Amino acid sequence: MATSLKPVDVAIIGLGAAGGVAVLPLARAGLKVAGLEAGTWMDPHRDFHADEVYNNVRRLVSSSPKAQQECPTVRATSSQQARSAGVHPMMNAIGGTSIHYWAQSWRLKPWDFHTRSESIRRYGPSSIPAGTTLEDWPLTYDELEPYYDIIEQEVGVSGKAGNIQGRIDPAGNVFEGPRQREYPMPPLRGAGFTDRMMETARKMGWKPFRPPAAINSQPYRGRAACVFHGYCSAGGCHVGAKNSTATTTIPDAVRTKNLTIFDKAHVTRIITDSNGRVTGVNYIRNRQEYFQPAKIVLVAGYTYENSRLLLLSKSKAYPNGLSNNHGQVGRHYFGHWSSNVSALLPYDINVWYGLPAQGVTVDEWADDTFDHAGLGFIGGASLHVYTERHPIEAAAMNTYGRAPVFGSAWKKFVHDNAGRVASTYLQTNTLPYETSYLDLDPEVRDPLGDPVCRITAGGVRENEQRALQHAQNKMEEWFRAAGAIEVTKPPNNGPGISTHAYGGTRMGDNPDTNVVDRWGFSHEAPNLGVLGASVMGSSGARNPTLTLQALAWRTAEHLVKNWKSLAG
Amino acid sequence: MIDRMNSRDVSRRALIQSAAFVPLAALVSSAQQTSPAALTPAQMKTLVAFIDRLIPRDELGPGAVEAGAQIYIDRVLAGPNAGEKDSFIQGLEAVDAYAKRVHGAAIAELSAEKRDQLLAELAGGSTPESQFFNRARRLTLEGMFGDPYYGGNKDFAGWDLIRYPGPRPAVAAEDQGLNVDVKPYRVSAYGVKYGH
Ligand SMILES: Cc1cc2nc3c(=O)[nH]c(=O)nc-3n(C[C@H](O)[C@H](O)[C@H](O)COP(=O)(O)OP(=O)(O)OC[C@H]3O[C@@H](n4cnc5c(N)ncnc54)[C@H](O)[C@@H]3O)c2cc1C
Ligand code: SF4
Repeated sequence: MATSLKPVDVAIIGLGAAGGVAVLPLARAGLKVAGLEAGTWMDPHRDFHADEVYNNVRRLVSSSPKAQQECPTVRATSSQQARSAGVHPMMNAIGGTSIHYWAQSWRLKPWDFHTRSESIRRYGPSSIPAGTTLEDWPLTYDELEPYYDIIEQEVGVSGKAGNIQGRIDPAGNVFEGPRQREYPMPPLRGAGFTDRMMETARKMGWKPFRPPAAINSQPYRGRAACVFHGYCSAGGCHVGAKNSTATTTIPDAVRTKNLTIFDKAHVTRIITDSNGRVTGVNYIRNRQEYFQPAKIVLVAGYTYENSRLLLLSKSKAYPNGLSNNHGQVGRHYFGHWSSNVSALLPYDINVWYGLPAQGVTVDEWADDTFDHAGLGFIGGASLHVYTERHPIEAAAMNTYGRAPVFGSAWKKFVHDNAGRVASTYLQTNTLPYETSYLDLDPEVRDPLGDPVCRITAGGVRENEQRALQHAQNKMEEWFRAAGAIEVTKPPNNGPGISTHAYGGTRMGDNPDTNVVDRWGFSHEAPNLGVLGASVMGSSGARNPTLTLQALAWRTAEHLVKNWKSLAG
Repeated sequence: MIDRMNSRDVSRRALIQSAAFVPLAALVSSAQQTSPAALTPAQMKTLVAFIDRLIPRDELGPGAVEAGAQIYIDRVLAGPNAGEKDSFIQGLEAVDAYAKRVHGAAIAELSAEKRDQLLAELAGGSTPESQFFNRARRLTLEGMFGDPYYGGNKDFAGWDLIRYPGPRPAVAAEDQGLNVDVKPYRVSAYGVKYGH
């Protein structure tokens, strides 16, 4: 029997990037919040190292027991047998994956909020890819703008505005939507190579800029500035310059004394009464089962866990899983299509240090920035060239058929070339499709005996494939213009398990096609909310976190403003 | 000039702020062992003969064996990679059997030229022997180019070879410039105890 605890106003499942920001407006408003987090506090001294073996080979910061033990299974299409994805890339900790993420902190474009209607308007109905379930978002960029602004300030984002209330500044991203004000910190500095790439792009007539990052370019609110030490990509920050929620909004919420954190608390079920209202959650801590009663439950366990928890939480009112009486939980799922086009330069590029958020981005070939007439796809991809390269990864470089892979000739080759390889990150505007979804795996179970999440990726997507290929060709042009002697464009088969996983609990006005309403609350269980990219119906051509954090803050604020009606 | 001074200033401040950079990881790691733990002396001898030609000693400096990559491999097979120990040893033995079959002697008995020939036969293939080549190569790279804390990369031979300037507490703007000679900083992330 589960031990019943003292009731709280709000129980949040997961204190990662999303749950970790939502706690702050709730706690500030005086609500009593229980933060139920499967992981625990990480210790920068003990856990974060400038060590490739520790971070990247053994993945000791980015892999953690709960995530690994319930690693989703993946298959391409519904006729196949799903197999374990192998590695779950997300984190269990207070701060969640924002502990070790790259901290690129993008706003989406106004176009992303109505891709469907805008594409039809500009290119006609046939421009909408066959099989997509894409809808316009139930809110506009302008409605989300104030929340983007709040997160940029509260979490701390470095960047350069390209559009302040319609005033265009070519030092920033001229293609971005209008912002109410400048970023709270200037952008991270460039490195020699990324500055050269910026110059090259300008000569090509493109409009490159230094992208925004939730990393302190200067001391911010008592936290240190980044020291560009080169071990950021799979590790936490040893000086506290990376603005995970564990160093920003969560401590701020704890200070209000209204947030109680229950660490190592693994939530197993969300409980409902016969009227279909949620009454709290069951969780396991040190092999003990507890029931935490709450007036409101917010699910924030990352996309795979969000759908899984709802599907596992069956009851009389919800025989197919919580909030799933319309059969929409798990639907409209997709992983972000992305690519690394890499290049060999004929000179030392010195990108050993730095971090993936340091670099230069080009937005010409993303979103609807260019005319797509006759191209056969909508959307595109952002191009981002960055720093941070580790020695094992560098020595393991492609030899491009220019040298054998062992012996003295190989030694000579890596001696000359290990410091001459550049990496990029291309992110595609990705859409949801009918054939891609999440459900419970019929065979594979976690150690508690619960089915793991099964990903059906859905197979080849002509639209995304063409959009990404188009961008890869642009990236190659850019590299060639900078003198690259080899350019590698990997094949585009689409993601399996993804660090940018969207959908499953999509947000929209129509309850027949969406799990949550425009505020992030369930269409079926009125006191259940969902936070994270699982509510997003399309990805945009950039990382999701700033957007999902802005949405999470907005959901929390909506809850505060409508407490009486929502909490009942 | 003003820019340069600023960035130096920033990095000095950052250095002070990150004075705790040399971490206490030694306390929590299990990587510290001395004697061979996963491989028998005979297996170790075979492995050494193999990786000695993978990354040989030459005018560009020490090879994998002088750098201690075999120590790294032995330790990981005994520790974090224990799950692959059996398949690794099977692969090693399969390659040794291949050497006897095709080249007439165990790897450890073959001349350097014969071993080079053997490696060339295995590189790029898809047989089980080639799969061992790939895995052994990967672990050798980890040992030679990873932090010396784990037993390989002795005297920072791997980092010198690829001209990696080394992890350091803080990196100034000029250390990220193009056409600059960044002075190598040869200290393990776990302190001066390691790497020699
Ligand atoms: C290597 C890497 C780099 C990335 N870089 C970027 C980037 O540069 N920019 C960007 O925007 N995004 C980036 N991302 C993506 C980003 O990390 C995610 O978008 C973000 O963390 C998602 O937030 P979340 O709160 O939904 O999930 P998480 O941050 O993963 O948090 C979920 C939390 O819920 C907890 N939890 C899960 N299930 C339960 C349960 N049953 N009971 C209790 N607690 C539970 C987990 O322990 C975890 O702490 C990156 C991701 C990775 C892996
Ligand atoms: S590169 Fe900067 S933000 Fe990243 S871990 Fe190092 S100091 Fe922290």
